[in-house]
Amino acid sequence: MTNRVIAWIDQRFPLTSFVKHELTEYPTPRNLSYWWNFGFLAGFVLVLQIVSGIFLAMHYKPDIHLAFDSVQYIMREVNYGWLLRYLHAIGASAFFIVIYIHMARTLYYGSYRAPRELLWWSGQILLLLLMATAFMGYLLPWGQMSYWGAQVITSLFRATPWFGNDLVLWLRGDFTVSDATLNRFFALHYLVPFIIFGMVLIHLVALHAVRSSNPSGINLADKDNIPFHPYFTSKDFYGLGVFLIVLCGFVFFKPDFFLEAINNVPANPMQTPAHIVPEWYFLPFYAILRAIPDTLGGVVAMVMSIMIFAAMPYLDRSKLPGGARFRPLYRLAFYVFIIDVAVLSYVGAHPPSGVLVDVGRVATFVYFATFLLLPPVSILEERWLRARGLPPGLETLVVGEDDKVGAEK
Amino acid sequence: MSEQDKVDPERRDFLITSTTILGVAGAAGACWPLISSMNPTPSVKSEAVTEVDLQGVAPGAVHTVPWRGEPVFIFHRTQGEIAAMEESKGGKDPQPDAARVKNPDWLVVIGICTHLGCVPNKTAKGWLCPCHGSIYDNSGRIISGPAPRNLDVPPYHFAADDKIIIG
Amino acid sequence: MKRLKFAGLCIFLGMAMNQSLAVAAEPADVEIPQSPAAVRRGAEVITNVCMACHSLKYIKYGALAQLGFNAKELDTMRGGKSLKEPLVSDMSPDMLKEGFGVVPPDLSLMAHAREGGPAYIYEILTGFYHKPDGSVDNHAFPGIKMPDVLNFSDAEGPAQRGPLEKQARDAAAFLNWAADPHAAERHHLGYYVLAYLLVLTILLYFSKRKVWARLD
Repeated sequence: MTNRVIAWIDQRFPLTSFVKHELTEYPTPRNLSYWWNFGFLAGFVLVLQIVSGIFLAMHYKPDIHLAFDSVQYIMREVNYGWLLRYLHAIGASAFFIVIYIHMARTLYYGSYRAPRELLWWSGQILLLLLMATAFMGYLLPWGQMSYWGAQVITSLFRATPWFGNDLVLWLRGDFTVSDATLNRFFALHYLVPFIIFGMVLIHLVALHAVRSSNPSGINLADKDNIPFHPYFTSKDFYGLGVFLIVLCGFVFFKPDFFLEAINNVPANPMQTPAHIVPEWYFLPFYAILRAIPDTLGGVVAMVMSIMIFAAMPYLDRSKLPGGARFRPLYRLAFYVFIIDVAVLSYVGAHPPSGVLVDVGRVATFVYFATFLLLPPVSILEERWLRARGLPPGLETLVVGEDDKVGAEK
Repeated sequence: MSEQDKVDPERRDFLITSTTILGVAGAAGACWPLISSMNPTPSVKSEAVTEVDLQGVAPGAVHTVPWRGEPVFIFHRTQGEIAAMEESKGGKDPQPDAARVKNPDWLVVIGICTHLGCVPNKTAKGWLCPCHGSIYDNSGRIISGPAPRNLDVPPYHFAADDKIIIG
Repeated sequence: MKRLKFAGLCIFLGMAMNQSLAVAAEPADVEIPQSPAAVRRGAEVITNVCMACHSLKYIKYGALAQLGFNAKELDTMRGGKSLKEPLVSDMSPDMLKEGFGVVPPDLSLMAHAREGGPAYIYEILTGFYHKPDGSVDNHAFPGIKMPDVLNFSDAEGPAQRGPLEKQARDAAAFLNWAADPHAAERHHLGYYVLAYLLVLTILLYFSKRKVWARLD
């Protein structure tokens, strides 16, 4: 019976052929490691956030006089409201953990390189959309940190030349973050995840056009690809199980771990909390913002620190395939970058005083240096490795001018 | 190898089948909090019960109270009105008056016309709905007009002689 | 190589987590037992003592029934107020502002709104002491406008302080419940969810291995 229904559909819609081509027979390198699970996890968390968010929106009230109370109503009165709220709040942090690991995988293995530039850039757009969504979502509970975080960050746009003040006024809809701001942030916070969803589909189309890279960074022969289903579906679901254990561990037993205590105090426009701290996933960028003494300079540096990822396919000028696998200097740069981001996070979490100011400035310098020194370093590294003698087999895989990276000659 | 195939596929299918069933069951179970969150909260449910003090409602007077978002007529009937209602059977939806009251002195009905939902106005003989002219008697029974049913009686009980609880 | 990357990730996460640790001073290791009995006693302290000035607007009198109070006990606590009403101080905000210079904050979320949580509340209640000039100040919150409600500054020695410390502990326990009334339910459900996920993940692991064994 099901077969007849499917056959009927297949005559009118490419259901079976699509599923076969993109899922059940889709060729995937057999050597993908668990670092490749994180794209699937990101998709799962997106669905989790949308579902929990919609059910929260049935009870939340985006009015400055009602918002905080409505969140308490959800937490205390709505059946399983506490579960919806904690899933959504912790899901946001989980989203960034997954995405940052996903990005780290891409950087480490050089998966951003030709012909995967559009895949990387669609990911860059997704990162920006996610950051915007998270920023707007954080205002909604209307706590002290919600209000003041939004106040500080929207103020940054004042640095824009010529129409900075008008821009801030337009963004907020008022002279300060107020009811107008809250209402529009709610509307947009509801909308943008669906734009993200569409962008994810584009991201997947781009992926399927060029197929997954793999830990070796070298295109495998056809015989070394295996169908996505059931191999990677089973692997993805197993990874999902592990992920859910960690997520639910936090949701059920330590839900306040990612929540700032001061956000349990309703927003007070007359009084700023002692320490304004953004959510952890914005900390490195916040540190870079504060590291530059000039306001406009700080804003430009912060924006560039996010946008510079887009340049990676062109910053990396090595003709050796892949990423860190065969390239010790690139690998070193990667680890330096990771440690630097951790240092920046620490700096961003604390008030800018004493030695932390200098640490922040050095770390900002190192951050940009790991990117901007990549062109000369990658070229020199390639020369050095070639002079040393490449591992057997790698010689033939070095990319020429017209070839794709790592394509077999 | 062929013997393995006979044993292993069965084991493998059992493992994969049971895992799938457990997973789907969990996913279905995870839907329950979502559905439950849409049910009325305890606050809402507590508003579904309204206490009404009957003191101060003179004979012949109607006291209107909101209950679950709708008006409820609490009518303190005079002896004459009671007698007239007990004699009559009503109109197109016959019902003895005794079946519509717990205490004949007090008529408690939902003040929503059973035709299309307007709130009828009190007249000497009962109620008249301004929208399409349905006429109800002093027992809330439909006498003439397009309404199909008598005015609905909400669940209520007397907590004391001068207090009723609706809901 | 993999281990190094993992270590790097751990450092990153550790650094990121650091931001959620207290920037302010951490209270000493104060244990606030969260037993139902302690929470019940704390409810009495709050309604008898604290509600002279503080409100808990997100807790309704009816909710206190969850703590095991019977109808009579609830009647004593709520006075003439309906069960549907929230725990609100009898003094108006204006009167309070006149008296103290600031409106005493609502306590519904206080156990979660300060670094240190319920331990911090305990430190405040037991932090009152006499200054050399005779006036009263507080170790945990110097310059606090709240009076020494338990009269802790006059208590000397364990015999006098003991019962007051118990009251403070119970009050903190109740406020901890008030900030998160669903904690018990959440933990209960959490055990089942995690047990289910553990079983499912183990099955998923073996399923994955079985599937991958098909490869040569």
